[in-house]
This record gives sequence, structure tokens and C-alpha cells, in this order.
Amino acid sequence: MSWSISTVWKTLRPGFWVLSLAVSALCLTVALCAQDITLQAPSDAVAGKAAKIATTGSGSAKFYLLGPSTAVKRDVQLGQDIALAPDEVQSAGRYVAIVCAGSCANADFFVAPGKPVSLVFLVHPSRAPVGKSGLISGVAMPFDEYHDLVLTPAAVDFQLSAKSGTPVSHAVETHDGAAWFRISSGKSAGPLQITASMNDVVARRVVQQVASDPCNLRIKGERTAQGIEVETDPVRDCDGNPVPDGTIITFTAKGGDETSTVDAPVKKDVARARMSAKGPVVISAASGVVMGNELRLGGQ
Amino acid sequence: MRTPSRFMLQLLSGGIVICAAAMYSAAADAAPQVTLNASKATPRQVEPLTERAVLRDYKSAWTSLTQALASSSLDPLNGLFEATADKWLTDAVKDQQSSGLSRRYLNQNHQVDAVFYSPEGDVIELHDTAEYDLEILDGSKTIHNEHVIVHYVVLMVPGAERWVIRHLQAVPQF
Repeated sequence: MSWSISTVWKTLRPGFWVLSLAVSALCLTVALCAQDITLQAPSDAVAGKAAKIATTGSGSAKFYLLGPSTAVKRDVQLGQDIALAPDEVQSAGRYVAIVCAGSCANADFFVAPGKPVSLVFLVHPSRAPVGKSGLISGVAMPFDEYHDLVLTPAAVDFQLSAKSGTPVSHAVETHDGAAWFRISSGKSAGPLQITASMNDVVARRVVQQVASDPCNLRIKGERTAQGIEVETDPVRDCDGNPVPDGTIITFTAKGGDETSTVDAPVKKDVARARMSAKGPVVISAASGVVMGNELRLGGQ
Repeated sequence: MRTPSRFMLQLLSGGIVICAAAMYSAAADAAPQVTLNASKATPRQVEPLTERAVLRDYKSAWTSLTQALASSSLDPLNGLFEATADKWLTDAVKDQQSSGLSRRYLNQNHQVDAVFYSPEGDVIELHDTAEYDLEILDGSKTIHNEHVIVHYVVLMVPGAERWVIRHLQAVPQF
């Protein structure tokens, strides 16, 4: 057997072609697998609105979408737009989209909140004594249909209306998604309606304004067969508002070395008490830190 | 000459030290680093005790969030999120459970500013510039890895015993 070059070539030629084809197929497969995939994420996605991601390449791939409230995996075709359903992008925030076909490509994008449809409106306190400086405050925060905080500055109109007096309106622009106010309580007891509105979105709250501390507490009394009957004049605050029923008035009777005390609640503007003392007494009344007049009664 | 039992003891001690170091390293990766600056909050000033409580609870919340999303489990959430924040996280975890995905937040560093503290102290808004390595896995296979800086707008409210997150929303910038 001769081992010339031509003999060797003739012997190996069929195998060479098979090997060449195999190498070519392998290269093609690698090239296809490592194809250049690009994703073009939406630049103006809005919460709860359908969006799409453009892709390049060909063939099938795995698509992943991770957002604040989602983690999606599904098959897609490269070269076609990937449709994002409204419920996949309901939450405002950052999303990461990934496509894998051999290698992976990714893109991130932000979903912005939609239009405000509700206002979270916090108002304090629910009951406010009249005539107190800077006592009532409120905070309004706009949210969209999917409870995303709307951060775009927008005017919130706060309107305050009491039973007596003209309504007061005050517009405040949201800053970082919040608008707030602080006001003094009014002069008259009664409900104070407070509304916060942003376009056609309205939230309402009521603050019950109540009388402040009693003012000019005055008492009168007389001796009866049962003892000393003592009562207040109608108890009002300094603005003339009757104090709420149940406000406690403390009556104190001092006679000689003896002192007796009775607490009585205001009922229909007046507090009444019966005290027992035989000798001359000095009776006084107080409510909290407010003192009334002194009443002197002679002995029995 | 060393006895075999003494040698084994030394070997065991060495092993324990190495394991402890490895665990400490893993914990260091998982524990978020959080700093809070409340000096610019308006209209109400943040009291020092409140500032400490917010910092403590915000850090705990991120630890819980990290564990929940890494393990695709609701157990770590532990009541530190409520309302929208709780729903979003719960939905994300449930989605991860059904899709087999998970995400890891590693080497977290949060620089937090309190920007709004309501007049009555019933809500505080934070701006968190968070920097971390985000790793996304399909099963056990990592499909995405990035170092990222994300801006979060956060609303926290005082609960019965601690401050809880009601809202956690990433934004392109403050």
C-alpha cells in the first residue's frame, strides 16, 4: 500500500466533508444562540395602561418582567413587540425587563402614576376648643386609581366653612406628593366642614369646634332647710359659647376650720350642688384652673 | 507531641471560626446599611426619639423585604408593611412563587432624608437614595445582575409599637 498524499486525501475526503458540515452547523448554532438581542423599553409608561417593549433578533425566547408588585415569566418571539398588559404595570416604580435566548438582554424603565382619583386627607383634631391658635391641621396626598402616590405638583384647594361666617378657601400646591395647612380654631362652637379638592376629586372632613375653658364663672346660692343650694350662672367660654354638658365644676365651702368640696357636672349650661354647713361659710367655684366669684352666707 | 484528640479539637475550632466568618460575611451582604437625616423635615421637627425609631424600623423593613423577595416567602414581612406597600410586596412574592423567580438585594446602602413630617406627626415622608446589587434568578440560575442606584419615595406611619411602611415607590429622581 502506497502512503502518497493523494492516497491519504482520497481515504479521508468523505470524513473531511462530514467534519466540515458538523463544524459549520455548530458555528451557525452558536451564532444563532448568541444573537444580538436588544430591548427597547417604553419611555412613558403609565400605571394601569398597556405598554410594549420592542425587541430585535429572531426565534423564541424567555421574557421576564420584575416590578414593584409583579414577577412575570413567559415565552415571547424575538423581533416582535412584547405586549405588557395593564395589570402587569399597575404599580408605579422601577421595572426590569429581561429576555433570554442563549444569552440575556435587559432594559429597565419607570412606570409613572396616573391621574389622581383619590385624596388621602388627614385632619386633626376631631374636636377642637374654639379660639386656639394653630390647633387645626390637615394633610392631603393624591393617589391614582392603583394607589400610586402622584408626585407631580398640583394645587389642592382647602375650603373651610363653619355654621356662622363665610367659607374660607386656601390653595396649596403639593410638594413631594403632600399639601398641608394649619389654622386656628374659630370663635363659635359647632361643626367646621373642611374639604380638600383637586380638580373633581374631593375629600371631606368635619372638626367639631367646642367651647373653650369656662370664663367669668359666677355662682349664687341660698340656705334651705336641707342645707345650702348653690348653682352657677350659665357657664360659657370667653367667646360666649356654652360649655359642653358634663364639664365639671368644683364647689368648695369653707367655714371655720372645715372645708367641704362637691364636684357637679354642667347640665343644660348650669351646674348645681347642695352643701351642708351650719355656720357662716365662704363658697367658691372652679373649673380646671378657672376660678369663679366667692359667695358669703351667714350662719343658720 | 500532639495527641490526635487535641488535633481534632483544634481542627474543629478552626472550622467553627471559618464558618462564623462566612456567616458574618453573608450577614454583612444581607444587612442593609441605612443612614437617616431628619434635619430638613417640615413642617414638624422630627424628635430625636422618633428619628431613631424611624431609622430602626425602616432598616428592619428593608431586611424583611430582602428576605421575603429572596426566599419568595411572606413570612419575613412580619407586619412592617401595611396598606399599599403590603399589597405590592405580597403580590410580588406570590408572583415569584408561581413563576419560580426570585431577587436578591445585596450590599445595600440607603441614604435617607426625611422631607415631610406632618403637623400632627401621623405621617412621615422619606426620600431614600438606595444603592445595591440586584440579582434576579430563575430557579437557581442567575439571569440578571446589576449594580443600581434607585430613588424611593416612602411614606411611614406610626403603628401601635413601631413605624410601618405604607408606601414604597421608586422614582426616576427626586
